[in-house]
Amino acid sequence: MIEMTPEAQTRFERYLTRMRSALRGSAVEAADVEQNVREHVDVALASTAAPIGIDRLDEVLEQLGPPERWLPEDEQPWWKRVASRMSSGPEDWRLAYTTFGAFALGLFLLPVGFGLVFLICAFLLARAEHELLTARGESLGARRWLVLPAIWTMLLGVAMLLLVAPVMALASIGLSDGNLQFVHGVPHTQPETLERVRIETGYIAACAGAWWLVFSILLVFLAKPLRTMFLPVTENLGRKHALLLALIGAMVGAIGAVLLFAIP
Amino acid sequence: MSEFYINWTTQVRKGVLELAILNTLSGGPLYGYDIVRRLGDVDSLVITEGTVYPILSRLKNEEHIESYIEESSAGPPRKYYRLTPRGREELRRMNQHWEQLHNALGALRKERKR
Repeated sequence: MIEMTPEAQTRFERYLTRMRSALRGSAVEAADVEQNVREHVDVALASTAAPIGIDRLDEVLEQLGPPERWLPEDEQPWWKRVASRMSSGPEDWRLAYTTFGAFALGLFLLPVGFGLVFLICAFLLARAEHELLTARGESLGARRWLVLPAIWTMLLGVAMLLLVAPVMALASIGLSDGNLQFVHGVPHTQPETLERVRIETGYIAACAGAWWLVFSILLVFLAKPLRTMFLPVTENLGRKHALLLALIGAMVGAIGAVLLFAIP
Repeated sequence: MSEFYINWTTQVRKGVLELAILNTLSGGPLYGYDIVRRLGDVDSLVITEGTVYPILSRLKNEEHIESYIEESSAGPPRKYYRLTPRGREELRRMNQHWEQLHNALGALRKERKR
């Protein structure tokens, strides 16, 4: 394996991610092709002095071409073919408009219940639009106003589910009848006093802090799939965000501990 | 060059790429990079190099070719490809068909000239 600069290594890994994504669902074994591409890059850059920079790597990747164009259309999975056809309408905006339509319908029908189905459809269409434009080497441009709301909404929902729902579950267990007595000897039946508000707030903050600390460790491993899932919004998601979450978790947890134990 | 001509040549190239790969391997085992280089030297094929790798993977799945790893003096071990007996037989038929097609088209052109 040749040595690359960190930027070149990141670029290469992203290229391989695009390649795996492009070959997913086809009859071609992505792992087999990946091994070939790694070997190709190794051989092509063997005579270049290490560490290999991003410019030299780009020359080789450009000759390899965008992986999204490696498979003929009839070998691509059905959803890519459908998305491709939908996007080839007037000015290539058809898929973007369909995405926004599904998103708006999803929001409108959310109180009824099955709006969530449309929001998920809008999210999938938005991701398909982004992948297709990336394959063509185009950016979203003004289409982002039609496409990104669906991705942001889904990201917000997933973030709430991952960051807030476990805290609410922990809090409800701790604050249910009798359980809080184990923490500070304050029965649930005690009237709303400043003391009870302090202890309950402290308990919720401690739960949130502890969970966010745990999740920040998980985020180190989950960053890659989450980044891929919510592209282009999460393009830069990485360890720095895990660190930031850990810091916030530590601060909130400390506030919780102070409220629970340090104040008499 | 018209768009029609560009589309047509693209389709033709896609159609013959498998034949070109199998013919490249008919002379003996080659590793992926070498296959890509040799095909790249054929001007009329004008391929993006990466296109070759999914086809190699598919031909291997269909047991027309097989791969094996061999140590290299110039770096890490390389994955070599060679034709299987089945692939060799398929290539013989494909070349025969190509020859027939070429002759038929040649005959049509001659008729037009008369």
